[in-house]
Amino acid sequence: MNKESNKYTFLFSVAMVFVVAILLTLVSTGLQPRQNENIENEKRQDILRSVKVNVSREASREAFDKYITRQFLVNSSGEEIPGDAFAVDPGKEIKKTPGERRLPVFIARVDGTTKYILPVRGTGLWGPLWGYISLNEDKNTIFGAVFDHKSETPGLGAEITRDDFRSRFDGKTIFEGETLVSVRVEKGGKAGGPHEVDAISGGTITSKGVEAMLKDNLTCYESFLKSLP
Amino acid sequence: MNILSSKSRQLLLGPFNKNNAILVQILGICSALAVTAKMEPALVMGVSVTAVTALSSVILSSLRDAIPTRVRIIVQLVVVSTLVIIIDQLLKAFAYDVSKQLSVFVGLIITNCIIMGRVEAFALANKPWPSLLDGAGNGVGYAFILLLVAFFRELLGSGTLFGVPVIPGALYRWGYANNGLMILPPMALILVGVIIWIHRARNKELIEQ
Amino acid sequence: MENLVNIFIRSTFIDNMIFAYFLGMCSYLAVSKTVKTSLGLGVAVAFVLLVTVPVNYAINAYLLSPGALAWLFEGGAAVDLGYLSFIIFIAVVAAVVQLLEMIVEKYTPALYNQLGIFLPLIAVNCAIMGASLFMQERAYASLAEATSFALGSGAGWLLAIAGVAAIREKLAYSNIPAPLRGAGITFILTGLMAISFMSFLGISI
Repeated sequence: MNKESNKYTFLFSVAMVFVVAILLTLVSTGLQPRQNENIENEKRQDILRSVKVNVSREASREAFDKYITRQFLVNSSGEEIPGDAFAVDPGKEIKKTPGERRLPVFIARVDGTTKYILPVRGTGLWGPLWGYISLNEDKNTIFGAVFDHKSETPGLGAEITRDDFRSRFDGKTIFEGETLVSVRVEKGGKAGGPHEVDAISGGTITSKGVEAMLKDNLTCYESFLKSLP
Repeated sequence: MNILSSKSRQLLLGPFNKNNAILVQILGICSALAVTAKMEPALVMGVSVTAVTALSSVILSSLRDAIPTRVRIIVQLVVVSTLVIIIDQLLKAFAYDVSKQLSVFVGLIITNCIIMGRVEAFALANKPWPSLLDGAGNGVGYAFILLLVAFFRELLGSGTLFGVPVIPGALYRWGYANNGLMILPPMALILVGVIIWIHRARNKELIEQ
Repeated sequence: MENLVNIFIRSTFIDNMIFAYFLGMCSYLAVSKTVKTSLGLGVAVAFVLLVTVPVNYAINAYLLSPGALAWLFEGGAAVDLGYLSFIIFIAVVAAVVQLLEMIVEKYTPALYNQLGIFLPLIAVNCAIMGASLFMQERAYASLAEATSFALGSGAGWLLAIAGVAAIREKLAYSNIPAPLRGAGITFILTGLMAISFMSFLGISI
């Protein structure tokens, strides 16, 4: 057959599309479970890091089952609603109107005490920020925090992932009496109060992003946090 | 070394010195530099590009008599993108952390000028075996430059190599500090400029008029 | 609206395709010798970006992303064709470039002669493909945001190539060390310009 004829060109293209489509579908469906597991295990790893359990990604599934005793969804009035807490994307929920939000809560048991783990989502200087905050049984004192970001400036805003920034939140409280005050991120090393931590020098906008993220997300959980354990 | 004839060796190793794809033909720097802040992503990127260049050269060289001329470019793009998608999927499944660091730059291998350049200039006119060597040689030459740039950026910018601290702690106590500028994008360009300078100073015939 | 302006400013000055991500360097290095041709190529790139990014945005939002097929048929929400995005994006880019080439050849032969082989090269210009991939990765919320991003990226690319071409024209009279001539000095120059563009960091409106 003439290689340059329309018919040949057409047949060649059709054959090529078929081969490529089948090949790609096979590869993609074959690897999908493994890819999803990676993403889920990373989430488990992050959740566990907020209660100071550091495990490798491979071991995170087992550790998650061991430490996390219960996970559920609450609505804005703090009442439990049905649904899979792990599968809910908090970033999407916070954009909804308060009445429609489904907010995940994870309960962990570490060293014989109960911890409440809440996901937080926000925006930094360049892009999304996210993390998890764990609270002690009093639903007031922060036990641990973990943050991550998509595209903050390396060496400046990106430092929020480091342990020395995360540990500044330990032991801070989010309630002043009955009012939810969250934790303020203060510039210039002045922070001393129970609701303040120091910002990252040079990463002020990212630090303020963390502050806003905590305030916004914790406000969503306010009713849940005020309800008795 | 008689496994490879001298011509084959020339094809495979040529890109290492005078024919280094990045330095001489100035191809494919696009997607290269943004991943050179650290050695590890640079290595993975280099290996991926080598695999895609070599495989697409072989595939297209074997098909060269069957491909209709009119749809040549599209066929090349389809073969290259298919290979890149497969690599992307493999990275996401087996090297998740690196795939996150490489983000969009894996996809950009498709538009890497080296690959299309080698296919057009060599693979479509030669038999599969020389095409494989040519593709692999160019890919490795490319990986070498990436690693060279990444070596200096990670060493001077973070004081580590492949994430392992290599600058002795004593130096820091004497006042040495990591140079944050090295991690930022502009330094990659300036480093490549300096590398080209050194390379051309040693290979005088490459100097532009 | 404010958001759109922000995205535009950011993609033009801060996330500049060339200075921050080095995308589109191949044609950039080859063409940036005179301001006139570089302006032509810059406009061509900006135009292709402005067409391909919104088209790819629509394809991504309504066909490829997880659950995007829900509008098409029952059970479509379970389908994720995300893995096809690379190949579809590059096909759209190639088609648009082909179209542009035909239009330019017919209506402005002078420009066509000057840009010569670089028009087909736009198809494999990393900036074009890169913009579509960034659009997907950054998950812009609407078509308007994606378009604003495309406009900004194109403007940024044009700005970069025109600026560097202007400097290179003047460089012709400078006494540069021989091995550094051409590519070497252009890289260093681009690096220095990238440093100056970093002063835009943190700007928002």
